[in-house]
Amino acid sequence: MDERFAIQCVNLHVAYGRQDVLCGVSLDIPRGVLLPIVGPNGAGKTTLLKAMLGLAPIRKGYVQTPFLFSPPGYVPQQKTIDPIHPVSLLRIVEMGLYPRLGWWKRIGRDERARMQSILDRFGLWAHRHKTFGELSGGMKQKTLLARALSTGAEVLLLDEPTSELDEETEQEILSQLQSLVRERGKTVVLVHHGLHQAARLAPRICWVEYGQVRWMDSADGLQGAGRERARP
Amino acid sequence: MNGTMDLWGQFPLAIAAGLLVGATCSVLGTLIILKRAVFIGIVLSEVAICGIALSFVTGVPPLVGSLGLTLGSVGLLAWPYEQSRIPRDTVLGLIFVLATAGALLLVSHSGFGIQEIKSLVYGDLILAQEADLRVLIGVLVPVLAGTMIFLRPLLNTFLDRDMSQVLGIWVALWDVLFFVGLGLAIAVAARTTGAVLVFAYLTAPPAAALLLSRRLGTVLALAVVFSALATLWGLHLSFLYDWPTNPAICLAAVLIFLAVLPLAALQRRWRGSSPSAGAPMDESDPPAGCRHRRPNR
Repeated sequence: MDERFAIQCVNLHVAYGRQDVLCGVSLDIPRGVLLPIVGPNGAGKTTLLKAMLGLAPIRKGYVQTPFLFSPPGYVPQQKTIDPIHPVSLLRIVEMGLYPRLGWWKRIGRDERARMQSILDRFGLWAHRHKTFGELSGGMKQKTLLARALSTGAEVLLLDEPTSELDEETEQEILSQLQSLVRERGKTVVLVHHGLHQAARLAPRICWVEYGQVRWMDSADGLQGAGRERARP
Repeated sequence: MNGTMDLWGQFPLAIAAGLLVGATCSVLGTLIILKRAVFIGIVLSEVAICGIALSFVTGVPPLVGSLGLTLGSVGLLAWPYEQSRIPRDTVLGLIFVLATAGALLLVSHSGFGIQEIKSLVYGDLILAQEADLRVLIGVLVPVLAGTMIFLRPLLNTFLDRDMSQVLGIWVALWDVLFFVGLGLAIAVAARTTGAVLVFAYLTAPPAAALLLSRRLGTVLALAVVFSALATLWGLHLSFLYDWPTNPAICLAAVLIFLAVLPLAALQRRWRGSSPSAGAPMDESDPPAGCRHRRPNR
């Protein structure tokens, strides 16, 4: 795998049953960037993210990632953890420590302190004993973001991580993600719903449509291309 | 009190078997409730009975028949049905019907017929022998220990399969291991205590415990305590009123669950009115007594 890239997708084909979802996607994501993936509903954005994570059935092509040795942080599109589980918010966030702890190690003092700082960052520390079912939609989303960060991963793959947040919190979270990239050199791949907001987040965006990467450039370029396509 | 002591003196094997089966099944039952797969418990119990019935006809030892069929069914259930057009529940239903009909048909060829099936399904803990207890200890203790040791990956796969897979947990392997452990426990326990009591232990004590606590460790401990209470209370009732033992234990387990219901309601009310139970109040919290939900920020 080329060291410059965090993720490389090569001629990726993904299908669920007979339904092709991704058709020949090739994509190189450099290390230390924030890459928003945008596109219309049903374009294949979530499937592309899942293929990168090894969660989608790849029919053809391949994905190269370092995830076997250093698992990524991940926020799924479905922000659901069955509320029947008698586990606290803190326990859910601690799930991200599994690659370090395995099934036997206890959580050490350093890790506890790190958990506290992550939960503090999202304003969740005071709610750490609540169960998932007792949290509001926004707090659930923040919990899953905190869990993604608790892995300490170099690469974060986030599927609409701000979809249930109010505008102010959304801005706050997005600027935190930008600072993770700028200050700590993390790679963040973010499926996002709004083209204009995505354009403000990163210099390059990835436009997915009909199961293919149609554009990988600045939003200006994308809008220009759209105008080109729209021209009779 | 004297009655209980007499009971302990006369039926130590039944008490030990009941406590062990109760503890193991209540821990496993908590996990199958969290997995929303309670029906698996009764289906595997029924399959274990069918395996024993098969052993009557084929002449193989009952334990072998029961384990063989139960583990075979576990193999079917561990199949990933998430992408399948037939959900797991439907397959469970089919296995249940097949096992129930199969047990009846198989035993109809033996000399005892329907009476034998009745005794298998309802069982009688009081008749537990030393050999039964040895088998129970040999199988249930490792299953229980394994479940507790590997609770973290098991729980993670129950909580969030996708995230667990991303974190490097082999979710399919843990699923299979869990179901194999469950199958082993049910097959062995059903042979001694009957299918209905096993299912009672799998459901009533964990359900009562889940009502009372929001911490998994406490839930598991409470489930074990409730199963022990049900066993002792049921045996005591059976001894006092000359009732059949297993239904008495089942009744005790359900009564404990019913007794917990108002306690849980009180607890919820107390939690709802106690600021110390949740996050500390701040200036943006609604006033005390206000039930309005705090808006997302």
